[in-house]
Amino acid sequence: MPVSAQYVARETASNLWRNRLMTVAAVMTVAVSLSLVGAALLLKQGAAQAEGEWQRGTQVVVWMQPTASSAEVRAIGTQLKTLSYVDQPCVYRNHAFDYAEAKRLLGQVYIEAGVTAAQTPTSWRCIPVHPQDATAVIAKFSGQPGVIQVTAPLQQIRSEENVINILQIVFVVVAVVLLISASVLILNTIRMAIFARRREVSVMKLVGATNWFIRLPFMTEGMIQGLIGSGVAATLVYVLHVLLNNAGNPVSHPGSLLAQMRMSGWAVFGTDAVVVLVGVCVGTLGSAIAIRRFLDV
Amino acid sequence: MITFENVTKTYKHTTVALRDVSLDIDKGEFVFLIGASGSGKTTFIRLLLREEIPDKGKIWEAGRDIVHLPKWRVPYLRRNIGCVFQDFRLLPNKTVFENVAFALEVIGRPHHVVQTQVPQILDLVGLAKKRDSLPGELSGGEQQRVAIARAFVNRPLILLADEPTGNLDPATSQGIMQLLDRINRTGTTVVVATHDEVLVNWMRRRVVELDHGTLVRDQARGVYGIDSGPSDIEDGVEGGVA
Repeated sequence: MPVSAQYVARETASNLWRNRLMTVAAVMTVAVSLSLVGAALLLKQGAAQAEGEWQRGTQVVVWMQPTASSAEVRAIGTQLKTLSYVDQPCVYRNHAFDYAEAKRLLGQVYIEAGVTAAQTPTSWRCIPVHPQDATAVIAKFSGQPGVIQVTAPLQQIRSEENVINILQIVFVVVAVVLLISASVLILNTIRMAIFARRREVSVMKLVGATNWFIRLPFMTEGMIQGLIGSGVAATLVYVLHVLLNNAGNPVSHPGSLLAQMRMSGWAVFGTDAVVVLVGVCVGTLGSAIAIRRFLDV
Repeated sequence: MITFENVTKTYKHTTVALRDVSLDIDKGEFVFLIGASGSGKTTFIRLLLREEIPDKGKIWEAGRDIVHLPKWRVPYLRRNIGCVFQDFRLLPNKTVFENVAFALEVIGRPHHVVQTQVPQILDLVGLAKKRDSLPGELSGGEQQRVAIARAFVNRPLILLADEPTGNLDPATSQGIMQLLDRINRTGTTVVVATHDEVLVNWMRRRVVELDHGTLVRDQARGVYGIDSGPSDIEDGVEGGVA
């Protein structure tokens, strides 16, 4: 016998209202637990964002001899164009540009050394797809005709990568642990709510209700509680995102970790979607699991 | 209608609740199941509801072997059995009408059928004026009438009552018995587990007595204690013992 949608809707609404204290307890449990899960996921996402920011700043520079011929410069440029592991196109900086940059970075020291623009090396500048690909660029171009040196901030890349990787792992582990404890907590709250109504379940069994007839209103209840709770959690996660973005303002705190962790509102949408999905699934399945033992009469 | 064939049920492999019980109850019979506490009356009822499965023996209800009934068919079996308990087992947050209607909703009866049948049955049990009351606002006797209305609203083939008058005063108990008798007259088989001596003696219906799980007496128009009336075990006069 199919269970009528009207019956499920009526029973769910009346049960939610009748057991409103338990409903509030379940919704709050879901909201608090999933806020913590969402916050951990948000921080993990922020760490990934910061890594991307750093990667975008990683540059490999192929320094050319100041006396390198145009043919040698072009040959290096042609080879760089064929590389799949660097973002295209690579940029060529002439004597004048590099001289101006050296003067800006080194200041008076460079001018006093008496180096002229013509004596300043020219350069090809590339951004590797992955920072670790810088090593391949160095190996390929070092010692080629017209090349003085190939440089990349390898040590810095390695330490940044290590820090980010550790941060990401920590946030994922925290999120998973919180998710498991949240699920257990939510399951337990639903179980308590159903335990309080075991007599009702036994009467339903007695008058010949099928397991699905009993289960469906409880599952719908769990789904609604999960949806409301996770909706609250998703809002809290979004508020946290706004607060972090404000704290990491690139104008007032340039270069800070929080500034590099800044994300767009759309990026948080993914985390919020995960939070809501988990809330709905844990609520629905939690109810189905919790009621199972009371159905076996 | 009901057949027990050499049924044995033990709990935790040590406590024998029923021992090699064989019994036939025909359609439309009214049977008292008597015996001291722990004699096996409730186990007998639970076996009929398929809340328990016997260790040995066979049970048929309405020609169906219920021991080997698949689990998913059990709700459909219970729809043919009305059940009344000492503690009424009403839903405290539903009104009298809703409690009775619930038994029809569970089996998917359409709304108009519910609206027609529930008032009829409430009229039968004398509670038409209390349809909007909550169980907590009713006396024990009235609550038991609601429980009987819920058990009978599906017009089941069998009505089981486990100590239905256990919590009621003698006058109210008599009223409940008269109601069960009226239901029995519609052709429903009624099995009442009780140790209310006065009622059993007053009704003079078939009496099946259990003692420590063993069937010791099966007597037509019997009384609570052993009297000189006909006993099937002794005389083989009618009905039950295989």
